[in-house]
Amino acid sequence: MRSFKLQRSSGFIRSRIATCCAVAGCILMLASACSSDTSSTAEPEQDSSSKDEVVLVTYDAFALPEDAAAEFTKLTGATIKVVATGDSSTMLTKALLSAGAPEGDVIFGIDNTLATRALSEDLLQPFQPQEIEQVPDSLRLAGKAGEQLIPIDTGDVCINIDQEWFAKNGIAAPTEMAQLADPSYRDLLVLASPVTSSPGLAFLIGTIARSGEDAWLDYWQQLKDNGVRVRPSWDDAYYSDYTVSGGDRPLVLSYASSPPAEVVFSDPKRTEPASSVMLDTCVAQVEYAGVLAGAAEPELGQKLVEFMLSPAWQQALPLSNFVFPVTDVELPEVFEKFAPRATKPLSLDPAVISAQRDAWIEQWREKME
Amino acid sequence: MNFLSDQSPAGHQGFRPSAVKMGHVSRVGIIVVSAVLLMIALPISAVLLRAIRPDGVWSAEAVTRILGSPRTWRLIAVTVAQALVSCICTVAVGVPVAWVLSRFRFYGRSFVKTLATVPFVLPTVVIGAAFATVLGPRGLFDARGTWLAIVIAQVCFNLAVVIRTVGAALSGVDSNQEAAARMLGASPFQAARRVLLPTVLPAIAASAVVVFLFCFTSFGVIVMLGGGSVTTVEVEIWTRATRQFDISGAGVLCGIQLVAVLATLSIHSRISKRRAVSSVFRARRSDRLPRSVAEWAAVVAAVAAVLLICGLPIAALFERSLRVGTGLGLANWQHLGSVTAGTGLSIDPLSALWRSLLTASAAASAALLLGVLAARVIAQRPGGAADRILLLPLGVSATTLGLGLLLLGGRPPLDLRGSLWLVPIAQMLVAIPLVVRAVLPALQALPASLGESGQLLGAGSIGRFWRIELPSIRSAVFAGAGLGFVACLGEFGATVFLVRAASPTAPVAIERLLSRPAAAGFGQAMALSCILVLLCGGVLLAVDYLAAGDEGLDLAF
Repeated sequence: MRSFKLQRSSGFIRSRIATCCAVAGCILMLASACSSDTSSTAEPEQDSSSKDEVVLVTYDAFALPEDAAAEFTKLTGATIKVVATGDSSTMLTKALLSAGAPEGDVIFGIDNTLATRALSEDLLQPFQPQEIEQVPDSLRLAGKAGEQLIPIDTGDVCINIDQEWFAKNGIAAPTEMAQLADPSYRDLLVLASPVTSSPGLAFLIGTIARSGEDAWLDYWQQLKDNGVRVRPSWDDAYYSDYTVSGGDRPLVLSYASSPPAEVVFSDPKRTEPASSVMLDTCVAQVEYAGVLAGAAEPELGQKLVEFMLSPAWQQALPLSNFVFPVTDVELPEVFEKFAPRATKPLSLDPAVISAQRDAWIEQWREKME
Repeated sequence: MNFLSDQSPAGHQGFRPSAVKMGHVSRVGIIVVSAVLLMIALPISAVLLRAIRPDGVWSAEAVTRILGSPRTWRLIAVTVAQALVSCICTVAVGVPVAWVLSRFRFYGRSFVKTLATVPFVLPTVVIGAAFATVLGPRGLFDARGTWLAIVIAQVCFNLAVVIRTVGAALSGVDSNQEAAARMLGASPFQAARRVLLPTVLPAIAASAVVVFLFCFTSFGVIVMLGGGSVTTVEVEIWTRATRQFDISGAGVLCGIQLVAVLATLSIHSRISKRRAVSSVFRARRSDRLPRSVAEWAAVVAAVAAVLLICGLPIAALFERSLRVGTGLGLANWQHLGSVTAGTGLSIDPLSALWRSLLTASAAASAALLLGVLAARVIAQRPGGAADRILLLPLGVSATTLGLGLLLLGGRPPLDLRGSLWLVPIAQMLVAIPLVVRAVLPALQALPASLGESGQLLGAGSIGRFWRIELPSIRSAVFAGAGLGFVACLGEFGATVFLVRAASPTAPVAIERLLSRPAAAGFGQAMALSCILVLLCGGVLLAVDYLAAGDEGLDLAF
């Protein structure tokens, strides 16, 4: 537009309005700029250092056990603020990227497949709660990791089967892992990605434990040929794709404790779950908590981790997050009835997982994406 | 300002501040350009450095790992292919629509023009959300996780670039030339091909290159519609950095992408130089009512295309925001002020929106100040070094910028991660090129004699800038402020790295709400998206009506 735009007399009023708006806009912007300046310096303190709040950084799917949280407040005077930062691997990566300037005081939800990644950036402060002796040795981590990461709950990641769907369609449900690659179960399985989801990574490790380090990729090739669907997170797979939630796939990667969850959350109420668990696909998962380095409230953080091992919290976990406690507390009836524990869950040496994990994920992506 | 009307509008020398003695304002402009260069170069080098020096030790491990993987090359091919297809589709739809809009007068023309521009000022996350409702499970058909959905969404988002840029060029073609060609025996097709096309071709090429660039580094749309299975280089950078904690791998990909972006930008600046010459011959084009059936059909087709591509998704967004269970209601809107469990958000959507508005205002005012000063430097030498530097943040991927600022701002001596500074800095960098593009045409249109007269009459450089230049380009500055503001408000790719979970911006909140299965979260996301549509649409209308008048907003890409 080389030609100079002439001010038309009819445009005079319009240009006046424009000027007034521009001036008003500038004042507003400056005002808000100043107010956002002050808020930017005041905010972090407000967020984390007010005396009576402890910030718990966790993954999206975590549900705070309300009664236990209230008891924590009664004990310490501090309320628990939950900050969810994504699915479990996102949560950990975000925490690593902000190591030293954390988004909270305690992090919960790092699992055994990713535990060693948490040690890389001075993410956590060493802390040992007194109750740790209640936790069986098999669930505790060795060495430096054990000093920083406290086991809070455990569970089995297993393929769930919608038995009602199979009964209705007159197909015999699969019973062992190898059958998932069988053409008669074509386009029936939905998994969560090992890149973004912790059950996904646990299942990947399960396939390696089962097929061996040489043959696991072939198994995945067979799954791929058999039409497996991979969703970014467990939520997507379970709530969007699983037939029990209204999706189109009757085989889903979930937890051994999902059938009791179906009963508890069923609407209309059901007395028995639609799903059963494929026990030979189960991989043991342990979730840990730790106190973040640079936490604004390290003492309250330690108190919270300590409290997570108390009977109040441990007893509340099964029905709030559908996981098993790590200390010896009574299980709710629906768990006793519908949540079988795998007698021999698939597992690998933590040292091998730690050394190979990133390479496996890379190979998996190469094959599947 | 009546004396200005004495200026002959055609063929005068363009505004050249250099013709006048270089003043303080120009010097400040050069400092601004250098500062912007530094603010972009530092984060980028931080990212690239991490690629070859991951833990304080030089290592080629990441480079060989990423470059040695066939998947990387597949990813690059797919990224280029989707950008090319999106770009071709955008041009194929945009050029005819621009032609109809510039050629024919019809009822509702300015509405169609504005509607076609609305998606461009919307946050990409909102575009993604809108198409997720139209092409989702309960929409027309479920196309999530397919390239089809992504290409359609990219066409929607970028249509304005083609329509506005080509439209401006078309309205600069003197219709007498075409008439003369017809008189001399050319068929309408020949006249269009030999007279019209050569004049607007550089504009088409330039807008196509910009659209290609936007699609190549597109992030929000693909994250929202890709469903995790469809991915590009830009999304892969994000996945590696925030999911796999593979910062060095992400750095290598940033490097690859940077090379591609720089190559594309150099093509763009080559086209711009040629365009600067041809645009001297611009004149007002006369438009008229459609006469024949074919002309009416063309108008109807153009209007239908814009309504379908740009209107339908936005309408769907509003419809879904009002859907409660099986009926209609305001529940989603009423719940915006409350935190809903299971939605992944620890603050309520309205607080996120308020925080967004504050941050975006601060970032946009800074971008406006720096952008106007920098535009003066560019006006002296279009296509020159300053021009290219200030286009950089437009092309450099947002994720690279975000990751770089995070790495840079997270060093112990200057740890900004806990403060809220990083987000507005990123937003400002993204907004500066838009401010420049909005202000530049007006600056270039200023006659050189303006500054000379001012100097002769004794005005200093600051006085000339403040009392002569700024008032003369007032409407363009207003447009730049509006564009900059919506860019800051909608910024997603960089923000997603820098934002704290306890204080998300509105686009981040929408993405978080939609990534969770909770139905309440979906409704809140729809309502929040609608508010952003109203806000950004309102800014666009204000800019179009108050600032640019009948001309409409001039985007000089």
